[in-house]
Amino acid sequence: MPDLPLALQFAWLIPALPFAAFIAVGLGVSPLSKRAAGLVATLAVAAAALCAWLVAWEYYGLYPPDAAHPAIVVWSFEWLPYDAGLSASAGVLLDPIAVLLLVVVTTVSALIHVYSIGYMGGDPGYGRFFTYMNLFTFSMLGLVVAPNIIQMYVCWELVGLSSFLLIGFYYSKPEAVAAAKKAFIVTRFADLGFLIGILLLGFHGHASFAELAPAIAPEAAAQGVANLQAFDFHYLTHPEVLARLQAASVPFLGLSLLTLAMVLVFMGAAGKSAMFPLHIWLPDAMEGPTPVSALIHAATMVVAGVYLVARLMPAFAASGDALAVVMGVGVFTSLFAAVIAVTQDDIKRILAFSTLSQIGYMMLALGVCSPAHPLGYTAGMFHLATHAFFKALLFLCAGAVIHAVHSNNIWDMGGLARKMPITHAAFLAATLAIAGVWPFAGFFSKDEILLAAFSSGHTAVFAAALLVAGLTAFYMFRLYFVTFWGGHRGPHAAHAREAPAVMWVPLAALAAVSAVAGFVPIGSFVSWGEAHEVPHCIDLRIAIPATAIALLGFALAWRLYARDGAGAARAAAALGILYRTIKRKFYVDEAYLAVTKGFIFPYIARPIAWFDRHAVDGGVDLAGWITRTTGRLCRRLQTGQVQTYGVWFVGGILFVLLLLWAALA
Amino acid sequence: MLEFLAAHKPGHVEWLLLSATLFAIGLYGVLTRRNAVGILISVELMLNSAALNFVVFNRFVAPAACDGQITAIFVIAVAAAEVVVGMAIFVALFRHRGTIDVNRMNTMKD
Amino acid sequence: MMHDAALTVLFYVLGAGAILCALAVVNARRLLRAALALMFVLLASAGLYLLLGAEFLAGIQVLVYVGGIVILIVFAVMLTSAADLLEDHPSPGRMLAGAVASISFLVFAGGVFARLELAAPAPGARPPADASAIGRRLLDFGSEGYVLPFELLSLLLLAAVIGGIAVARKTPPRDQPFTSGGDAPGEVDIVLPRSQRDEPEEPRA
Repeated sequence: MPDLPLALQFAWLIPALPFAAFIAVGLGVSPLSKRAAGLVATLAVAAAALCAWLVAWEYYGLYPPDAAHPAIVVWSFEWLPYDAGLSASAGVLLDPIAVLLLVVVTTVSALIHVYSIGYMGGDPGYGRFFTYMNLFTFSMLGLVVAPNIIQMYVCWELVGLSSFLLIGFYYSKPEAVAAAKKAFIVTRFADLGFLIGILLLGFHGHASFAELAPAIAPEAAAQGVANLQAFDFHYLTHPEVLARLQAASVPFLGLSLLTLAMVLVFMGAAGKSAMFPLHIWLPDAMEGPTPVSALIHAATMVVAGVYLVARLMPAFAASGDALAVVMGVGVFTSLFAAVIAVTQDDIKRILAFSTLSQIGYMMLALGVCSPAHPLGYTAGMFHLATHAFFKALLFLCAGAVIHAVHSNNIWDMGGLARKMPITHAAFLAATLAIAGVWPFAGFFSKDEILLAAFSSGHTAVFAAALLVAGLTAFYMFRLYFVTFWGGHRGPHAAHAREAPAVMWVPLAALAAVSAVAGFVPIGSFVSWGEAHEVPHCIDLRIAIPATAIALLGFALAWRLYARDGAGAARAAAALGILYRTIKRKFYVDEAYLAVTKGFIFPYIARPIAWFDRHAVDGGVDLAGWITRTTGRLCRRLQTGQVQTYGVWFVGGILFVLLLLWAALA
Repeated sequence: MLEFLAAHKPGHVEWLLLSATLFAIGLYGVLTRRNAVGILISVELMLNSAALNFVVFNRFVAPAACDGQITAIFVIAVAAAEVVVGMAIFVALFRHRGTIDVNRMNTMKD
Repeated sequence: MMHDAALTVLFYVLGAGAILCALAVVNARRLLRAALALMFVLLASAGLYLLLGAEFLAGIQVLVYVGGIVILIVFAVMLTSAADLLEDHPSPGRMLAGAVASISFLVFAGGVFARLELAAPAPGARPPADASAIGRRLLDFGSEGYVLPFELLSLLLLAAVIGGIAVARKTPPRDQPFTSGGDAPGEVDIVLPRSQRDEPEEPRA
């Protein structure tokens, strides 16, 4: 790549800064001064955010809006040379979605770091917290800029690790430890699919690499890929390669190789993004500190799955079946999670299920995408960005509320609107945004998703998405009314106080972004395929029913929850068993437990444990026993009496003499 | 009779076998005696047989020289020195431990 | 012929006697008897030296070995009060091991000797019968002389005598560290006795 602007040449600083801060804070600063640890970590992420904005500016300076936006590799080095002609590089790839994610992740992360300085103040693990947060930010940014699937996978696991560390941050709490383990095991299980998918893609991609690479390499070289490899996204998403992979079929099931690989990759994405049925870890992950929930489990890490699907969009689109799976899972999860969110009592869990639902929305948007109707791609990424801001805001507000009320249960809150006016205003802004009320950001991104579903002809999906929009408005306003309106219900609610400035300033900033982000003409910046006409004006066919159903949800919430919960209790009683089933999250956790406890533990884990304890450990014990017995037997030779040694000595001499004699004679 | 005896004058093999037998008996004593003094006596036996060996070789290999005899003299002198030191050690040992039974001298084991 | 016949007879008589006495040396249960048997072995060896034409050596053997060493051994037996003590028989295993080792040695040596071919000595070569030849060689400064080993031997004997005295001297009391002497421990001790060690050191000016 000749003559890149300086900001792009130094784009590697964006992940490098949090990494440097991770090392510095973890090893040097945190033991010296906790205060400095928070400051250094926050400053590093803020500097990364500044770099990200500069990079975005320069990228769109180089490739103006409404033009084609190639994926350029601005910096790379050979990282893992496996073999001649097979190596993985690490580097920085920039394309519209990478730039978008860079900006979103660094900005949200910086604001949450600032918030954490106040929220985590006085915690004994203050330095550790910021160390992990920096590790996470680095890993997430490394994932975003990955130019090949290997770097993406490595960073993918790193965000999983930092998520594990941060969920289990309060490691003296058994629930937190259990939640951390659950998150790690479930996502690891999903990542197994991802890994197999990568291996399939890599193996078969590499098999035809020698044949196809000469044609692709010049094109890739023009975009900065100096040494094209089979793992590079430039290679994996090239139409010819995809056509080759689509033509190959696996010997069983009659699936095309590409479909199988993409479904496996999507399994990893579904695990990280907590799609049904791998969603069970996310609600429990709320045991972590609230800024962690805001950053990792709402704004950034959980959308990594969406990002992965978007990154491999050409491959998913080439295999239509895999994309159908994405769409189906997205639709189901968004509906499923929204229904559960209606019944939950824990403020963070409501938000967690809301996150599930919204991520399902993004998956849905990507799922309805096709080369003919690429609007879903734009809409999904747009919703990802706006959701990151308003969901982070919701979590931070929830954190402020929890800080004030010392409880997670919404029925312990109430009447906080007057006690915490800034938090209340920010929460209201975020609620309006997620409910999709004009002019807040969610309105635009959600409308675009609905439009994408509608215009691509997926009417049933459109209807489901509309229903989810209504449910979203309902449960969010339920949460809002119960938390901020009415009388004080909990013992601490009456004494609640506004959060300190270091906490409410990020809230205000995020609220401002949530309010205005929708006016960004996203279609000009993020698009897929040949430049596509994205409506810059509001499509009234979509806007009117969407707003209407949001208002319906709002009205229902107002009716049931604005004063007291009596009406809601009656409604719940009327629904009976259905309500209880939803409240217990459709017994999915119980089903998992039944499978693990009823089948996996007794029939798989226990025999393996037995084998380990008796066969493997027995082997080790046997080795020790042999050594000990040999020693005991040899010990008898050591009588300590010189005469015994003399016998052996003479015998040895004779033996050697005999040997000599036999050899010489 | 006389012819027979004269014809069977001992050659070097007989002489050497005699000295080797004495040596082997001494070796047996060194390996089996339980008393340290007994071991020392057996060692003297072995040294004596070695000296005899030297003289035999002197006689049968280079009769005109006397180097073998000189070496035998040295052996006798060294044996004397050895006995002096050995006996002193046994006396000290006996004072110290009350016995010179080598079967009880197994402190090397510990 | 007469001479040769006598030599044969004497060789076998003395040899058998030496072997029998040697067996007695290693098997006698009384140490005093073993020492006595050793004396007879040494005497028989002296006779064998005579047969080999080494008259001077035979004299030395009787003087030093029989007259000195055996007497020393007898003294040691007395001093360790083992004279009247019946020594236990060694364990059967030990006896077997010793027998196997020594008999293997004998067989091996016999095998070697049977194959040994010595160059025939120059005819007419007579051993230097007189002791003066040996004495000259011992004190010869030339390249074939033994004066250096001879002097070293005298040093060795001196060292052995001094060492023997030092070792066999009365041992020091048990609570004192082991020293080479016992009468004046403070002078040669490396480790000071407890009574002196416990004293606090006086600060030097």
